[in-house]
Amino acid sequence: MIDKPQTTRRRQRFAADRWRYPLISFASVVGMICLWALVTGFGLVSSRVLPSPGEVLVQAGYLIRNGYADNPLIVHIGWSLFRATSGFLLGVALAIPVGLLMSYNRTIGAIVQPIFGFFRPIPPIAFIPLMIVWFGIGETSKILLIFAASFNYTVLNSAAGMRSVPEQLIRAGTNLGLTRWQLFTSVMFPAALPAILTGVKMSAAVSWAVLVAAELIAAQAGLGFIITDAGTFFRIPDVFIGILIIGVIGLGIEFLISAFERRLLHWQGKV
Amino acid sequence: MGTIVLDAVTKVYPTAESGAAGIVAVDHVAMTIRDHEIVCLVGPSGCGKSTVLNMIAGFESPTEGRITVSDKEIRGAGPDRMVVFQSPALFGWMTVRQNITFGPRKRGVPKSQYENDATRFINAVGLDDFASHYPYQLSGGMRQRVQIARALMNRPEILLMDEPFGALDFQTRLLMQELLLKVWSEFKPTILFITHDVDEAIFLGDRVYVMSRRPGRLKEQFDVPFAKPRNMEILTDPQFVTLKDRILHSIREELAG
Repeated sequence: MIDKPQTTRRRQRFAADRWRYPLISFASVVGMICLWALVTGFGLVSSRVLPSPGEVLVQAGYLIRNGYADNPLIVHIGWSLFRATSGFLLGVALAIPVGLLMSYNRTIGAIVQPIFGFFRPIPPIAFIPLMIVWFGIGETSKILLIFAASFNYTVLNSAAGMRSVPEQLIRAGTNLGLTRWQLFTSVMFPAALPAILTGVKMSAAVSWAVLVAAELIAAQAGLGFIITDAGTFFRIPDVFIGILIIGVIGLGIEFLISAFERRLLHWQGKV
Repeated sequence: MGTIVLDAVTKVYPTAESGAAGIVAVDHVAMTIRDHEIVCLVGPSGCGKSTVLNMIAGFESPTEGRITVSDKEIRGAGPDRMVVFQSPALFGWMTVRQNITFGPRKRGVPKSQYENDATRFINAVGLDDFASHYPYQLSGGMRQRVQIARALMNRPEILLMDEPFGALDFQTRLLMQELLLKVWSEFKPTILFITHDVDEAIFLGDRVYVMSRRPGRLKEQFDVPFAKPRNMEILTDPQFVTLKDRILHSIREELAG
């Protein structure tokens, strides 16, 4: 009975610890908005350059009710999500098998490695003019641009993940009498999955980031379109709203993929 | 059935510099491991013990000489010679039970045939309560027990154990050694056991081979004068101590020379 208060106190401390850092993060966001409100409220910065949080909020309400450029907001978001997801999924769907093949067959790897390695550090935006010349200003060029960015991140990670499967795990598989194909699908692929998913996560982030650039190509709808169009006409609050929506959705995507990863790779500990 | 014969087996690894002769890891090793026998191989680290084991397992092939198992020359790895690795090479994304049944499942053995075996071997290594745990949830000793059960599931005539208890703490190691002897008395596999622990070698082995420094040759062979089943009491038996002394001297010559 004597140490009961102590344990309760310890438990309370645990509870406090659990909320401590999320609270700090929350306070940081609130603080940033307050700072924003202060800077604009005291007229330190002209509202033409930086609108106040209130202005942005009012304008957001307006856009939600009336849409932007003849389209409801949801249509803009829909187009952006459609372009980003299709480019991302196509890229990943092709990159995983190609990456695995690259490491499985050294010759194929030697052929394509320098090509992918060369393209990776080039910002996707650099290809916009070429994309327009080659594929026009329709959806093809936009999705292809996102596809290329997405592909490039997952392909090299898949190849690297495959190569880093411990030799001993492969030996354990052959020892059990697995065929080459079984070894590939049931041992090497699952063992490489953590590295592959790291690539997929990067691809998702890049796909969403490249979106705005892709929508610079003569889009009539989309979040990137809102930002560039509003920018051209100095509708700064609209630019902010576009940026905010992109940021929030980007966070959401990151969160979804992380949750998926935790579920799929719960086993990834020390072994 | 499970007799292993090494006939003048040599393994040379090529070196990075071209033109160099290569590193002789194993030099004309000849040994016979009889059916149901436990043979331990000790020697200084880097002497080629694991190379011998890997060649019998079929992971590597000899540069010269030949290895036969039950009078047949080995060709590649296979479930008749199960390896227990030093670090537990478990499939991290599978539960204990899935790890253990992985071999039979992939070879297309019907579930009705391996299901009883799985339960039996999980019990035999004392993991009843952990069948649906994942490897990361287990201790080092438990992981090695999973490896042993996974090997036994394939009803191998031969077990090749590459310092399987080397990374475990002293007490766990004793328990694992006793467990291995118990398992052996039940299934009588032929065992090649590599270790650097002389106590372990004498406690488990019917015979102990000492390997020389690189190039690895078989230097000396010792018969262990204890009948099985054995228990921990032999560890303090005068005969045990004398044998240990002789083996240690044999190894020490290698370290000094």
